[in-house]
Amino acid sequence: MASGTSTAGRRLKQGAISLGWALAGVLIAILLWEGVKLLGTVVTLPFETSNQAMPHVWTIAEGALAPEVRGSETPVWVTVLRAAIYTLLIAFGGFIIGVAVGLLLAIVMQRFAFFERGLLPFVIASQTVPLIALAPLIVGIGNRISFGPFQWGQTQSIMFIAAYLAFFPLSVGALRGLQAATPTQLELMRSYAATPRATLWKLRFPASVPYLVPALKVSAAAAVVGTVVAQISTGDRGGVGRLIIEYAREASSQPAKVYVAVIGAIIVGLIAAGLVALLDLYLTRNLPKERLT
Amino acid sequence: MSELAVHAESVWKIFNEGATNEVTALSDVSIDVRKGEFVSLIGPSGCGKSTLLRVIADLIPATRGTVTVAGVTPQQAREQHRYGMAFQQAALLDWRTVCRNVELPLELAGWDKAKRKARALELLDMVQLHDFADHRPWELSGGMQQRVAIARSLATDPEILLMDEPFGALDEMTRERMQNELLRIAKETGTSVVFVTHSIPEAVYLSNRVVVMSPRPGRITHVVPVDLGDRNEDTRESDGFYDAVTAVREALRGRATPVGEGGARLAETS
Repeated sequence: MASGTSTAGRRLKQGAISLGWALAGVLIAILLWEGVKLLGTVVTLPFETSNQAMPHVWTIAEGALAPEVRGSETPVWVTVLRAAIYTLLIAFGGFIIGVAVGLLLAIVMQRFAFFERGLLPFVIASQTVPLIALAPLIVGIGNRISFGPFQWGQTQSIMFIAAYLAFFPLSVGALRGLQAATPTQLELMRSYAATPRATLWKLRFPASVPYLVPALKVSAAAAVVGTVVAQISTGDRGGVGRLIIEYAREASSQPAKVYVAVIGAIIVGLIAAGLVALLDLYLTRNLPKERLT
Repeated sequence: MSELAVHAESVWKIFNEGATNEVTALSDVSIDVRKGEFVSLIGPSGCGKSTLLRVIADLIPATRGTVTVAGVTPQQAREQHRYGMAFQQAALLDWRTVCRNVELPLELAGWDKAKRKARALELLDMVQLHDFADHRPWELSGGMQQRVAIARSLATDPEILLMDEPFGALDEMTRERMQNELLRIAKETGTSVVFVTHSIPEAVYLSNRVVVMSPRPGRITHVVPVDLGDRNEDTRESDGFYDAVTAVREALRGRATPVGEGGARLAETS
């Protein structure tokens, strides 16, 4: 039908507009950065704006292109990019595990009211434990886990922490979503003598999408934050989290370097958000536009 | 028994029985619907008409009494897809096309893909929405959505249609068109219909018999037979139509002499 293609066309146009805004956002961020630096030379600001604390945008760019250590072949940006990809992969793994666990919990809680009453307080309590306190604990326990050739390592611990943060928003959002089908729709399914499983697949799941999509966005962000913070506290050498700490120590000699690592962490976050946005487009492709979140 | 589409005898439905918030929704309700018959349930809010429909559909169990649907228990009737249902909300699934919405009950009844698509298109033909098969429900008007819901309720070729104010949310013009369409479909398919409504003219126009109910406790007070022959647009202007509308109105006010069905005397409302 014509309306289908025009919908796709509209989405594409919206996508182009979003990209334009994103680029404008980067430009505005650069202008603000330099603007604040400029302002700092005129009036006294409550924070340091010297080139040492806030290097110029072009200094950061130079820092990214400079070799990692004197005489090395690898420029800083390549190291950061490698670390960013490594961090992204771990965050992705944590996200997938978190989503799977979150969905499973939501299904169980929706199906059995007993579990909703019994489980939900624990799900909420799980998020009140500070991540920093949790990381050494998980590493400590993980070191003692091994099944045959499999040995739990640092990567598993970090992924676990990412999943631990990611499952929560998803399970809460998915639970609300699974309860979103209208009473009339549920009565209809009953009148068709649909099994609980059929009701789940054909009604509850699709009806949960408007709640699931924002939950996925929050979970993805949580997985990235969880990964970066866990990498810092476990001292994982390959990741962006550790790189930020390392480069911060070199800030007195090379102030630009740490910002390159921070930008790397931001890029990880943006890629994660972008992937979820694609998932959003896919999941909501058949829904009215006003429902989009 | 086999000539009866629905048989209900001394049905009681008491919510929260024994508790302080006990509500008697149905009190000693007996009703028979013959095959091919169109019966409307009418009455003020809280009279139990929707409850009675839900008991027949096995969406809720009766507290006491016997209910037979298409010759079997309501549960069997539900599991064998012997009845179709439509509600005031079309309750279509936004993420499915119109055609796939109509296919839903067939999917759940285990039909294979090609067969159910052919059947769905046939039904969409019947409600004159063939051209909208690939649209999404939210692209359709309220009346069109309700036609899709009716097509869906007919999917498994049920012997009985159970309808709970299906035209309640439609404007008057659409509503009258839909009434004609429903009568045509019921006649074509030979389906019996139990139809819950708030509207007296609607009940009279559609039905062979109008069952008048009264609240606190929910019970049947009158059964008004309507004999207007084949309906057409002139029927709405005919004297017989007005007489029947008056009869139902009087029955709703609790003033009329009970009519029909052996003339069970009406106990005066307190």
